[in-house]
Amino acid sequence: MGVLYDERHYGYSLVRVLSEDGSIALKEGTVYPILARLDRDGLVRSEWVESDQGPPRKYYALTASGRQLFDALSQELDVLVSLVQRKWKAAPPSEPARKKLVVRKG
Amino acid sequence: MNEYPEVVAKIANDYLERLKSQLRLVPAHEQVDFLREIESHLYEAYRQTPGADDVTRILTVLRNLGEPAEVVSDRLPGAMVRSGATRNLPLYVVGGILIALFGLPLGSAGVGVLVGLLAALAGILVAYYAVAGSFLLVAALTMFLGLSRILLPQLYDRLVVLGYVQMNGPVGNFLDNFSPASQGLLMILFASVFAAGGLGMLWLGKYLLRGLRFLFSLTFDWMRRFAQGVRRKMRRGNREAPQWSKVSFAKR
Repeated sequence: MGVLYDERHYGYSLVRVLSEDGSIALKEGTVYPILARLDRDGLVRSEWVESDQGPPRKYYALTASGRQLFDALSQELDVLVSLVQRKWKAAPPSEPARKKLVVRKG
Repeated sequence: MNEYPEVVAKIANDYLERLKSQLRLVPAHEQVDFLREIESHLYEAYRQTPGADDVTRILTVLRNLGEPAEVVSDRLPGAMVRSGATRNLPLYVVGGILIALFGLPLGSAGVGVLVGLLAALAGILVAYYAVAGSFLLVAALTMFLGLSRILLPQLYDRLVVLGYVQMNGPVGNFLDNFSPASQGLLMILFASVFAAGGLGMLWLGKYLLRGLRFLFSLTFDWMRRFAQGVRRKMRRGNREAPQWSKVSFAKR
């Protein structure tokens, strides 16, 4: 969503931007289900544009509600990052650390 | 695909066919749209993947793209995609039939019919719990009478004299055949039957309640989606022409 915030992209260009610095390793095909879901939820809009170098491309751009959601998520992330950076000392565990984790069904 | 070498076109088409077979449950126009998008991706990726060997290039592209099942995972119908939570299938079918029968053909009137139907079901639920409550009330009163007939016969006689208890007609004649203690035991037996009936109804009522709650949530969910769809269409109709002046992807 951040990549689509200021400029539109088609699927392959989005993949390239996301993986160009090697920070995000992704299967390229996983981008399309995400784009489809965002489109269905009205967070991005899509448009087919003819290309002079092959088949037409489907461009995506963030909608107003998509930008709104992205801003809200960014703020939440900022809060989370600031909390982590405060390096709170973990409270001493009240029970032995090696206590077994009990997973209850249902 | 006619700009590819033949062998590459064959591999790419085979991939697209596999993709298409995964999209059987998707509406035809969405299938076409999605396949065009992947076709575009294959073209772009193939063109920009280095290598002298055509087959290696297209295989690299397909490997990076992923298996068809991964690529279409979110293109399946909504009900299948959002299957994270456990759904009660029979109730879902009933809800779907109700919506199909009343909601879709009648449009807005169908919504009215649905709301009326749900209100009627809610009325049935109230009546059901009223009957269960009556059963328990009768059980409590009969139990009291039975115990008083055995343990406090004076109190029972006093209630009869005052007219609060009227044992007339066939019931009175039937009870007159037994001793007071037996009469009390019979009353306790009747009370137990009514109590069991009332408690049983309460227990079964939770299923009725759960079913109705499901139908209500299904209907409201359907209405919400319908309203969202209308709103989205209106927004798309009204939105201004997008400004596509900045395309960051550099053609190579």
